Order: sequence, then C-alpha cells, then structure tokens
Amino acid sequence: MTLMPTRTILLACAIVLVAIIAGAPFVLNEGILRLATECLLLLTMAQMWNLLAGYAGLVSLGHQVFIAFGAYALFLTSGWLEVTPIWVLPVAPLVAAAVAAIIAFPLFRLRDAYFSIAMWVFAEIIGAFTMKSQAVGGTSGVPLATSKLIDFDWFEPTMFWLAGGLTLVTIAALYKMMTSSFGLGLMSVRDNDLAAMSVGVDVRHNRFIAFVLSAAGCGLAGALSFMGNLFIAPLAAFDVNWSVYMMFIVIIGGIGTLEGPILGVIIFFGLRELMTGPLGLSGGWYLVGLGIIAVVVMIVAPRGIWPALRDRLGVRLLDVHRAAPRPAAATILPGASERVTG
Amino acid sequence: MALLDVNGLQIFYGDLQAVFDMNFTVADGEAVALVGANGAGKSTFLKALVGLNEERRGAVHFDGIDISQMPAEQVSRLGLIMVPEGRLLFDSLTIEENLLMGSVNRRKGSWTLRRVFDLFPILEERRRMFPGQLSGGQQQMAAIGRALMSNPRLLLCDEISLGLAPVVVEQIYRSFADIRREGTAVVLVEQDVKRALATSERIYCLLKGRVSLTGPAQGLQPEQLTHAYFGN
Amino acid sequence: MIWVETLINGALLGGLYGLLGIGLALVFGVMRVVNIAHGEFMVLSAFCAVLLSNLFPQVSPLLMLIPVIALSFAVGWLYQAAIVNRVVTSPDPLSPLLLTFGVSVILRNVMVEIFGADVRSLQVGELSRASLEIAGLNIGIMPLLTLVLAALLFMALQLVLRHTEFGRIVRATADRRDIVRLSGVKPDRVYNYVMGLSLALGAIGGVLLAVRSGFTPFSGAERLLIAFEVVVLGGLGSFWGALLGGIALGMAQLIGLKIDPNAGLLYAHLLFFIMLLIRPSGLVSSRV
Ligand SMILES: Nc1ncnc2c1ncn2[C@@H]1O[C@H](COP(=O)(O)OP(=O)(O)OP(=O)(O)O)[C@@H](O)[C@H]1O
Ligand SMILES: [Mg+2]
Repeated sequence: MTLMPTRTILLACAIVLVAIIAGAPFVLNEGILRLATECLLLLTMAQMWNLLAGYAGLVSLGHQVFIAFGAYALFLTSGWLEVTPIWVLPVAPLVAAAVAAIIAFPLFRLRDAYFSIAMWVFAEIIGAFTMKSQAVGGTSGVPLATSKLIDFDWFEPTMFWLAGGLTLVTIAALYKMMTSSFGLGLMSVRDNDLAAMSVGVDVRHNRFIAFVLSAAGCGLAGALSFMGNLFIAPLAAFDVNWSVYMMFIVIIGGIGTLEGPILGVIIFFGLRELMTGPLGLSGGWYLVGLGIIAVVVMIVAPRGIWPALRDRLGVRLLDVHRAAPRPAAATILPGASERVTG
Repeated sequence: MALLDVNGLQIFYGDLQAVFDMNFTVADGEAVALVGANGAGKSTFLKALVGLNEERRGAVHFDGIDISQMPAEQVSRLGLIMVPEGRLLFDSLTIEENLLMGSVNRRKGSWTLRRVFDLFPILEERRRMFPGQLSGGQQQMAAIGRALMSNPRLLLCDEISLGLAPVVVEQIYRSFADIRREGTAVVLVEQDVKRALATSERIYCLLKGRVSLTGPAQGLQPEQLTHAYFGN
Repeated sequence: MIWVETLINGALLGGLYGLLGIGLALVFGVMRVVNIAHGEFMVLSAFCAVLLSNLFPQVSPLLMLIPVIALSFAVGWLYQAAIVNRVVTSPDPLSPLLLTFGVSVILRNVMVEIFGADVRSLQVGELSRASLEIAGLNIGIMPLLTLVLAALLFMALQLVLRHTEFGRIVRATADRRDIVRLSGVKPDRVYNYVMGLSLALGAIGGVLLAVRSGFTPFSGAERLLIAFEVVVLGGLGSFWGALLGGIALGMAQLIGLKIDPNAGLLYAHLLFFIMLLIRPSGLVSSRV
C-alpha cells in the first residue's frame, strides 16, 4: 500500500507551507524565530550535502569551505558596494559555485575517501590563507560593515523568510531535478559508474553539476547564516563541524532521500535542545550523543531512519528514490539460467 | 555411512532460489562427477557445501558432522576443500606462498610442499613467481596444489579444465590418480562430460537447480544423458 | 647552512610523519577502508601516555610507549571487531567512511569533555633538548632517534608482512577475502589484528609527536590529514613511499615555518595539493 501524492496535493502542501512561513514571524517570539532560521539554513545545507553524497556518491568533508566563501563574499561585497547585504546575496552562491567549478578539476581525479579528505585539506588551506590575510580581517574576522543599513525591526523576520524561502525552493528544485532525466542519470552514477556510462550517462559531467550546485546552495545558506550573526571569523566559518552537522543530519535521516534530511534536522535540533537544555549537558556531549546515534544508525539501518520507516509504514512523500539496488536480482533475470548450453 | 551426505538442500540468492531439494552423497575415497549446463547451479552447490554461500536450508553432513550452517573457515578444518572456479589465486603472493596458504588450516596428512612440487614440477620452477606470470594451466595446478596442501578428505574441483589446452587437461587429470591414492574422495564439476565420466565412479546431472539424473558413470545411455543435461 | 639544517630537521620530522601514515596505509591496503578516526586514536594514545607519566613520574615517558602500544593494539582490535567489521563488506564504499568519521567525532568530543581543551605535551626532560653537532650542523637527538625508530619499524613491518605466516595471511586476505576462508582463515579476525597493528603504529607516532609539540583533543584532524597526505604522496599502499612522502611533508612544513612562523601545516598541505595536481599517482607508484 503506497500513497502517491498527486501534483495537486503537493501544490496544496506547498501553499500551506508558504502560508505558515509567511505568518510564523507574527506569532513566534524572537528566540524561537532565530532557532527556526538556524534549522532551515542547516536543512538547506544538509540537502546540498545530500545532493552530492546521496545522489552523486561524493562525500565531502570540506563543505565548510563553500559556506565560508559564500559568507565572506557577502560580507566583503556588501562592504565595498555599501548596500544592504540582502541585495548582494546572489554573489554568495556565485562565488561558491565558481570556486567549486575550479577545484573540481584536481579533485575529481580522486574517488571515495580520497576525494573526501582532499576536500578537507582544501578547506584547511583556504582557512589558513584567510587567517593570514588582513584584507579579510585575519584571525579576528570582520563585522558586517553595512549593518547600519539594516532595519532591525524586521531583521529577524526577514532572515526567517529568506531561510524559509530558500528551504522551500531548494526542496522543490531538488524534487524536480531528481525526477528529471538529469536526476535519474545522477542516481545511476551513484549506483554504478560503469553501468551508468554504458547507458550513455556522462558520469563526470553529472557529478560536476551536482558538485557546483551543492557548493552554490551551501554558499547561499552560509552567507545567510553569518549575515544573521552580523559577524564572521575564520574559525567559525571554516569549522569542520559544518560538515559534521550536514553529514549527521543526512545519514541519520536517510541518505539519498529528500525527506531524510528533514527528519534528520528535527532529530538534530530536538536532541540539541533536549541535551543542552533540560539535561544541562555541554555541547561536546551533545556531539557525542549525535555521533553515537549516527554510528548506530549506520550499523542498524545503513540507509537511514527515513527509508527504514518508509518501508515499514509504506508511506511515500517526495519519493525520488529508486528501488534499492539489488545486484543479485539483476543477474538472475528469468532465462539467465539457460544462457548457454555447454 | 557416506563421507558427505546432503539431504534436501535448498540454496538461495536473495529472493531467487538457485538449487532445489538436492540429495547428494559421496562415499569415502569415491570420485563423483557433477555435470550440467551453464547456470545449472553446480558452483552454487559447491560453494554452499564449503560454507561460502550462506543462504541455504537442508541437511548436510560431512563425516557425520552437521555442517549445514557451518562457516567456511570451520568446514575447511574438517578437510572438505574446494578448488574454486576460475582458480582465484592470491595475486600478491608468490606461487610458493599461495601453496603455503593451503596449510594454514593445519590439517595433518601426507601432502607437503615437497609432494605438491613432485606432482607438478613446473610449480617448483615457478615458485618465486606471481600468479599473473603463469599460464592458465600452471595457475590451475597451483590452485589444485593449494587445496592439496590442506590435506583434503574430500576435494571439490570446480571446472578445472576450463580454458586449458587438451594436453594440459590430460596432465592435470593424470594427477588425480596420485591424489586418489591417498584415499581422498573427489567431486569433479565439469563441462567436459566425457572426461568427467571416465574419471569417476558415479555421476550427478543438474538441470536448472535440480538433480535430473544420477547413477553409475559407466554404462550410461547417451540419449539419457543428453535429456538430463538439456531438459526438453 | 641554516637551510641545510632545516632540510635535515624536516627529514627527521618526516620519519615521524611516515609513522603516522603507515598505520592508515596498512588498514587501507588490507581492507580498503580509510579510517578517519585514525588521528583521534593517535591523540587518545598521547593522552594515555600523559596520564601514565603523571601517575608514575619517576618512569621515563618514553617507556610509557610500551603499555600505550599494548593498549592501542587492544583498542584497535575491539574497534574493528565491534564496529568496523559491520560495514567493511558493505556494497556501498561510503559506509566505512561515514562510520569512521562518526567515530572520530565521538572520540574527539569525549576527549574534550574528559581532558579539556588545553594544550598538553609529553615532557622527556633533557632528551628533548639534547643535540649533536655534526659538521657545524645542529641536529636534535630526539628527532634523530625518532627517524631511526621509524626506519626500524618500517623494516620490521616489511619483514613481518613478507616473511611470516601472519604476513602471508594478511596479504592473502587483502587479495581475496572470501578465498582465505577456504584455508580456515577468518577474515574478520585478520582485520582485527590489522586494525590493532595500525593503531599500535599510530600510537607510536602519536606519542612521539606529543613529545615534539603540544596537542589538544582537536589535534586528531591535523594528524589524520598528515597521515593521509603521507599515504597519498607515497603512492597508495607503498610502505617506503610513505616514508618518502613523510619526509617531503616534514621538509615542506619546516621550510614553511622558516618563512612564516605562523604557517603551521599550511605548506605541507600546499605541497600535497600541488603534488595532487601534477602527480596524482604519488611519488612512488609501486605496490607493497
Ligand atoms: N552471486 C550470485 N548472485 C545471484 N545469482 C547468482 C550468483 N551466482 C550465481 N547466480 C545464479 O545462480 C544460478 C546458478 O549459477 P552457478 O554459478 O551455480 O551455475 P554453474 O552451474 O556453476 O554454471 P557454469 O557452468 O557456467 O559455471 C545461475 O542462474 C546464476 O545466474
Ligand atoms: Mg560454475
């Protein structure tokens, strides 16, 4: 029994969500609104990381570099041009995408863990240069020079709307993309390079696009995130924990699914509020707890919680995930046993 | 009591069943041929016997011991040894080291490096070479030698003549006389039915995962065998 | 002259880096898993050495290496048996990567909570300052000892892998995990030993590095990156390559520090990245 949502149901859901996001700032208090903004931005980043890991099969441990590029790009251009940061937001994804497009050349020679760690090394190098460069504030970082242009009455709601809008657009775009031929090609890349190539999918090209898009999305979300703080410093921007968060959210929720990261973000923030709030534990123990959940999920349900739930409940929401790969079944097609007679 | 006694064995690959209700026996010191078309399930059956294929149901006794769910590494210690299809030597080990891998399970018996080299002198010449530097026939000898180093009570050979020149096949099959002199029982999986029949006492024919014929190897009617082999 | 000295010191440091890399290379070579938690395990062993030498201040910290190595071996064995073996045969190559990354995050934060984030180091007293004067060059005794130890360990490891039954089993398991079972070998157990060995080697590197410079629970990432760069530079799976790669990185780092005292590992990372561009197959591209 599966429940396939039709276009109209999806559309209705989208309208309801837009309405909720539009109205939320008028009901929620500032603290909750900030938390919600943070949630939505991290959800976007996780979706972007998932685009690369879950669909294109490339795990990046250096995605913080795109967050940092996006955020620094926003801070610097807004300062140079002396305009409200919101108007220069588009530079963030553009810069991040450009960087991704350039480093894809050396990095794409590497596969699996080698790609992952080389990304990390790249992030370390850029982080080290940033700390050395006084033009971008060095180790101590820079405040948002144009913060005086911001209307602070509407700042939190605007941030929330931007984050909400970005999340919805991201999910809608990913859904559209993953049900298109590009998405199918991408998923076949993850499943099997050779098979994908033999049916005419340009593996490198698809990976490249996924990489650049993923960087752009992280750049934009990162820019918004630091814009909300009105301040940026290299230690925060190049923190490997960004990748840790994205990865945990994705693998706990469900890698290679659109709904997984949503569930992952709920668990991520739920656990954080629970452990650092009522339980009074430090951020370190929170990460330990999260890590243990991730490791247990990896061992017990390697595809994540959402796919396991979905299989049990038979629910389909934004289902773009193909049937689980079954190499065994593929080789024993009916008739295969009578291939040749010797 | 038979050395190997298989009763109602079923073998699966996920949802797909590859072998159905297999009954199969080998007596001590006996040579049994197992033939069948490509994909009939011969390799699947051998792998299940030695514990490499874990999705199986049914009774399997070796020397009176229940091995139906035993992991491969324990089966090996009982002396039920397989020469896998495609030889599958260890590519980064020399030929000598490959042979020595056979003795890791520490089974006592008369097979030693020396005796394997006597059986296949070419291996002694090539002892320091890597499998990739040997011909197919020499690789096959090394694979058999590795299995012998485990001092098998029952040796399962999966298509040892595959892709080899007739002279080499001849030479390998001659070595079976030596092997069997030790009282080692042998199961020969072969595409070359004639040769299998000539070397063994009994035959089993598999068709799409089921035994379609069994009986003494000598005095078989050709039509009977063709029918069992191809079905129809 | 000062540059020659820097190069020599870089080479000596490189021996240590080679040691960091070799454990990682071993695990990768045998089970095709990059153990992302390798750096955290090294830091953990350094913490153990510090704890032990606080408990027994009269014993030389270098002697603490012995219990720490034994402990690391046991930890590696258990880590493999309890966690890594569960994903090592997964059809998805990302599983071990994500899993070991999760473990590294857990370890790092547990260490932060237990030991705090302060910089620690292992004091070996006189020995750390002693130096030799050869042809006008000033060479530290401790770095020299480290390089000699590294070279000896490399040779020992090579001997064990080449000429013992254990080594044969390890190499055979790396080749064909299924087929070794036909010889009565349990591949999971081989993996347990290999991970134990890997962490024991890592512990030696981790403790000696802690003698050389301070560390915090966050140093694991740095150590992993160095280890990884050593392995890639050395050509995957090549032991002597790893030593060479370590030496190259050590030199790059010390030259960098001469130019800019705050450079940290920047120049080592840069060398790695440039090499990746021009020679993706590593300095030496032969197999073990
Ligand atoms: N790893 C596997 N996964 C799924 N199905 C398999 C697998 N190995 C074999 N099969 C299927 O099981 C059936 C039996 O295969 P098996 O290899 O046992 O045949 P065989 O008799 O040894 O053939 P051949 O003479 O070609 O070696 C075939 O239909 C094959 O497609
Ligand atoms: Mg076969």
